[in-house]
Amino acid sequence: MLALRSVTKRYGSITALDNVSLDIAPGEFFGLLGPNGAGKSTLMSLAAGLRAPDSGDVLFAGAPLSRVNLAARRVLGLVPQTIALYTDLTAEQNLRLFGQLYGIRGKDLQARIDEALESVQLADRRHSAVKTFSGGMQRRLNLVASLLHRPKILLCDEPTVGIDPQSRNAIFDYLERLNREGLTIIYSTHYMEEAERLCSRIGVIDHGKILALGSLSELLTQLPFEDEIVFPETPATATFAAQLTSHGQLSTAEGTHRFRPQPGHPLSTFFADAEKTGVATRLFEIQRPTLEAVFLHLTGRKLRD
Amino acid sequence: MHPIFVLFKKSVLLFARNKAAVLITFLVPVVMIALFGFVFGLYKNVDKGPGGIGLAVVNLSTEPAASDLVEALKLEKTFRVITTTNHADGTKRPLTEADVRAAIHNNRYRFALVLPADMIPKDGFGIHLKFLSDPRNEVETQIVNGILQKTIFSRVPQLLGQSLQHQSKRYLGDARFETFNRTMADTVAATYGGDAEKIYQRMIAGDFGFGSLTQAPSSASPAPGSTPLAPGSSPADIFSRVARIETEQLVGKKVSNPMASRLVGGYAIMFLMFALSGSATSLFEEKRSGIFQRVLSAPVRFSHILWARFLFGVALGTLQLSALFLAGKVLFGIELFSYAVPLLALIVVAAAACTAFGMLLAAISSSPEMAMGLANLLVLVMCAVGGAWFPVSLMPAFIQQFSKLTLVYWSVEGFTSILWAGHTFMEILPTLGILAAFATGVMAFAVWCFKRSSMFD
Repeated sequence: MLALRSVTKRYGSITALDNVSLDIAPGEFFGLLGPNGAGKSTLMSLAAGLRAPDSGDVLFAGAPLSRVNLAARRVLGLVPQTIALYTDLTAEQNLRLFGQLYGIRGKDLQARIDEALESVQLADRRHSAVKTFSGGMQRRLNLVASLLHRPKILLCDEPTVGIDPQSRNAIFDYLERLNREGLTIIYSTHYMEEAERLCSRIGVIDHGKILALGSLSELLTQLPFEDEIVFPETPATATFAAQLTSHGQLSTAEGTHRFRPQPGHPLSTFFADAEKTGVATRLFEIQRPTLEAVFLHLTGRKLRD
Repeated sequence: MHPIFVLFKKSVLLFARNKAAVLITFLVPVVMIALFGFVFGLYKNVDKGPGGIGLAVVNLSTEPAASDLVEALKLEKTFRVITTTNHADGTKRPLTEADVRAAIHNNRYRFALVLPADMIPKDGFGIHLKFLSDPRNEVETQIVNGILQKTIFSRVPQLLGQSLQHQSKRYLGDARFETFNRTMADTVAATYGGDAEKIYQRMIAGDFGFGSLTQAPSSASPAPGSTPLAPGSSPADIFSRVARIETEQLVGKKVSNPMASRLVGGYAIMFLMFALSGSATSLFEEKRSGIFQRVLSAPVRFSHILWARFLFGVALGTLQLSALFLAGKVLFGIELFSYAVPLLALIVVAAAACTAFGMLLAAISSSPEMAMGLANLLVLVMCAVGGAWFPVSLMPAFIQQFSKLTLVYWSVEGFTSILWAGHTFMEILPTLGILAAFATGVMAFAVWCFKRSSMFD
């Protein structure tokens, strides 16, 4: 549906995107995960046709996407990172304005506005100025303002920044429903939890490059370990922890040991060794690896660094 | 470090980083002071005074003193004396009264002095002059009147001397007239010394030494024992009784409130420029909020955004100017409805030019603060040099040339032409054309700048 072919974009001496290639399939919920400044917003603006690449192609349904290709815009929806609304106007006035930009008029427009406001629980505030809304309400309106023209593909550029967990979950539920109904979604975030929950496929991006691409389970297989065992750093665990270094990677920070066993070092052996050294097994917690670990493995840095 | 100094240092740093604040704090006042200095002649040892108010002089007299008066006027730096006009073939000829009347009606210049053939009547005593004017600007008119009075009355003694000689010749006859003058010259030479022939020539030319009466410093104290002149009996007053200056206002005679009619255009255009500059800088707010991203992801081109903004500016400007002129009518009785068509046309093109100016400011600025700083500087400077506050003719010549590049100049000229001189739509068509060209050119340049700016990225 949307494809980037060897796309490079520079701002002066800074390379925001470096030879990026990507294919988004219809109906996909694609996540773009990376820290601030990784190139996510640049990729989204290229995908929305707001900017042109310095080299490479951005294709929508096989045709080049550009500022002048107005027809392609009718099937694209962009949820900007900021609250891109006229905050002095009411919720309904905002939706009417953005709907009219797509040529929607009359009863059809009114019906879509009603539906949009209902879907994000803002129908009773339709006549209130947006500036009187909470951050979560503004975010929800920001989202549905991009859906009035019923796009085939929705580009969400970090749409939950700075909102409370309840509003965030409401947005997640809404996006998941839209995706189930067939909407293709590209979702950029620096929250691994969001990518893990929402996305069927994830691209890990840093310094303008796609470092890894695949489903969550596919990405996790790139890690040189399957599980991580966490236990407290105490005098009772010191001897046992020292023995572990020959069977995998041990890191210790803030009173906690984290052990990532080498492939081929089964958990049964781990627990047997623990019993031999007299460490109670109730101290151990097995954690499934996360995208955070994948990012750390790929870049040597934490996602929020 | 004490918190007060830490916070003080913070304020200094923030101020230094805010170019707009620095611009408004230092550059704007300095530029304004410099401009006012030009107008009020505050520069010492540097001739940066007015580049010359156009004064046409029609000399129909054959008297030598008339030529002297013309030369004296030419020496006044306040005036740019015009005495000739061009034939169709490019050759020059002296101005006629009909020429200057037409030129004043067309606002080519606003003042003319006619020295008639009977400037020094053969059959009477005194002098006769004719002053034609278009006093569309109060300050300029007062300056012209003052300088003209000074120049004329400083020459009155000589003119009166010639008048006396004419009278004598008429009563005595040629032979006795010459004998009288020769005898007088010989007597003066014998009594006070000097060359009798030179004294005779000066008497023939009407020079009896009365000039010292008007050349004495006006502030000089009376000599000991002398009686000061009573109020109203200064030399100028004495001569004004024998110098008959016929004045005629050619333009603006029917204006019901001359002062308001002159001023309203200039101030209206200044407020319009401030309003539209502010409106254009709101583009930055839309960029910052990400609205441009949303709008441009729809089937919308950035040129749509710009032209929509331009149309809004023109509509707002038209409304604002109309409201200001209506306020002028209600408050000061300015006549509007007789000039509805040319006035509305000028309002629309002036609003378009001001909007284009505001758009250009937004296009070349990197932040709203910078745009507003530039707006403050340029609007005030353009109002100062464009004639919104004081006459352009009071400026040095190079500023007068610059003023014609400003939309304020042409707007003020247009509004004054309509409200003061009662010009019709066809008569202000050139002004409308210039403002429309200004709006088109500036807007095209603004669009070009926007294309290269990051406003719509």
